[in-house]
Amino acid sequence: MSVVPVRQNNAFHKDPKFGRLLLVSLIAHALILVAFSADLFGTKTRYKPPVYYVDLIHKPVLNPQAGRPDPRPVSKPKPEPVKPAAQTVTPAVPREPVKPEVKPLVKSEPKPEPKPEPKPKPKPVGKAVTKPADKPAAKPDQAKEQKLQSAIEEMRERQKREDERDALKDKLAKLRDSVGAAATVPADVPVGMPTGQGDEVGVSALAFVQAFIQQNWVLSPYLIDQSRIANIEARATLAYSAAGKLVRFRINNPSGNQQFDDSLKRAITKSEQLPQPLPQDLELVVTFNLKDIAAARR
Amino acid sequence: MLLRWSIAFLLCCVLPWSALAATEIEISAPGEQSVPLALTSFLPDKGPLSAHIADELNEVLVADLDLSGLFRFVEPEAFLDDASRIGLFSTQVNFPQWRLLGAETLIKGTYVLNGDKLIVEARLFDVVNRRLLTGRRYVGETKDVRRMAHAFADLVLKELTGEEGPFSARIAYISNQSGHNELWLMDVDGKRPVRLTDHRSIVLNPDFSPRGKQLLFTSYRANNPDLYRKEIYSGKEAKISYKPGLNVAGRMAPSEREIALTLSKDGNPEIYLLDVSGRIRKRITDSWGIDSDPTWSPDGERLAFISNRQGNPHVFITDIFTGKTTRLTTKGKYNATPAWGPKGDRIAFTRQEGGRFDVYTINVDGSDERRLTFGSGNSEHPRWSPDGRFIVYSSDKGGNRAIYVMRADGTGARRVTALESDCRHPAWSPRW
Repeated sequence: MSVVPVRQNNAFHKDPKFGRLLLVSLIAHALILVAFSADLFGTKTRYKPPVYYVDLIHKPVLNPQAGRPDPRPVSKPKPEPVKPAAQTVTPAVPREPVKPEVKPLVKSEPKPEPKPEPKPKPKPVGKAVTKPADKPAAKPDQAKEQKLQSAIEEMRERQKREDERDALKDKLAKLRDSVGAAATVPADVPVGMPTGQGDEVGVSALAFVQAFIQQNWVLSPYLIDQSRIANIEARATLAYSAAGKLVRFRINNPSGNQQFDDSLKRAITKSEQLPQPLPQDLELVVTFNLKDIAAARR
Repeated sequence: MLLRWSIAFLLCCVLPWSALAATEIEISAPGEQSVPLALTSFLPDKGPLSAHIADELNEVLVADLDLSGLFRFVEPEAFLDDASRIGLFSTQVNFPQWRLLGAETLIKGTYVLNGDKLIVEARLFDVVNRRLLTGRRYVGETKDVRRMAHAFADLVLKELTGEEGPFSARIAYISNQSGHNELWLMDVDGKRPVRLTDHRSIVLNPDFSPRGKQLLFTSYRANNPDLYRKEIYSGKEAKISYKPGLNVAGRMAPSEREIALTLSKDGNPEIYLLDVSGRIRKRITDSWGIDSDPTWSPDGERLAFISNRQGNPHVFITDIFTGKTTRLTTKGKYNATPAWGPKGDRIAFTRQEGGRFDVYTINVDGSDERRLTFGSGNSEHPRWSPDGRFIVYSSDKGGNRAIYVMRADGTGARRVTALESDCRHPAWSPRW
């Protein structure tokens, strides 16, 4: 008896259909790429509800600056009313003291000139090239200089604001850390509790749907064999439209216990319409189990 | 072939993406742990109205289903007009009304009373899915009304849990109501008590045969604790073991071919296997200590019993074929009256702690020991219901000793016999 290998030679590659099939494969791959890039499959991105830090003691708001007395806004509006005044000659005087930091830049330029080339290397190179060129032009046109000054000033203001915002953020982060450390509350604390999740609008959509389904799930532990309570589990996929309507559902992995599975179907049926719409379509894979009951009995 | 591989590759590319798209959440406990049940009053269908019939049907159903711990009854006051309509078909039931009340299950029923003849028809509906779950028509006499209700309660449990309830079964017990400790039989709710013996002596320790047609018990009728067997329907009685000394705690094997019994014919109480005619087949224990109170495992291969061979009385388990014996309990100074559960996984027993007996359960491997009764009084003689959901026991916490029933986790305890007489040694029959 002899064993003949199925393909003794590489005739497979000489098959005239091979090229055609290869072409089909390539086209199919190209189609996949096109489909995904064009989102033809409607690839659903994981729903990430906006999560904000909610602390009932130190009440957070979406925009921490809103409605608070801010020292800067006082100075902020001023430059603008100043601008029209800049057309007159008089404001030039008050403005000069306002730009003490700018002046060194300007004034330093003439000074390097007597000692021209040796030191201006590191910084003033650019300035030496540009500013001297500007300066003579600025002198004849004071308005231009003022504009420049005001622009610089604005930039500085903006920089300042950003710095302050960063500082504030740091402060908030520190405060949050300290509160979190003091409270020592686990990260998954429900909304409404200190260090809980949520935003100003309300509970995250996902948490809301979860709570709604759980509320509709009715199951007596006496229906389940007590020895199975700790490890009974079923998984279901639920798809909700943005209007909060259950579009479809499927029990992917039934538990094998009819009572348990029936209770899930009832819960899902009762959850077919959410009391409020969702931010977007939502597809959920829900794992149902009785771990909490088992833990309580231990 | 290549095309197939291409398709397979395509699927491999697409499927994981579609799977990844969904968000995963976990719900680790139901929002409500008792099923909201609406139980309407049974209505007369073609016949005279009988408040007594309707009330009794409702009373039994409420008591049985409440004891199960499965249900939360929707307030009767909240019932809507659908409750006053007969409609026993799912098309005739106004499910949205019941759903508004939060009910998930609904029981509706009718009865026809014609002289002494009674026909009861009861239905269980799934309110959420708007469908009939189960229904039954019972034909009998007016005196059977409670039995009909118990039977329907069993059916409800069977439909919702997959296992029939034990409410149609009966409980045998010893009571001194007649002036002597005699054997009695009653419904699981304590109603319809019937005296079975008239030994005018001391009767104790009854036990049903696995098929429920016979009762074993010990009686001092002949001035010796002898073992008797009684046929429940015919009332015939036979003395099957009357050896000198104790002939107590007889328990029939699941096969109904053997009886485990404590005999002290040789002085020291030991456990023996007897055939149904009373002949000794095998000696199970042989130790210097007292061995008593045998109880069969559901597979009939092992016996649990009490022995003080290692000091204090403890529960031991022995294999009747190999003789291998292991100690089950390690705590307490006095453990007694073990009862092997019908599921085979747990054993109920009593333990004396602080001068008081309480009921405990333990896994057959010695793990997960739980105390089920608390408070004042002695709680003794635990026995399981045939489905393992409940335990019946006797307690003197109310003064006189009475029979109590509780769930197997110790919740929902309720007294089922009156306090006027002393009731003890209960035994729950197999399904009647």
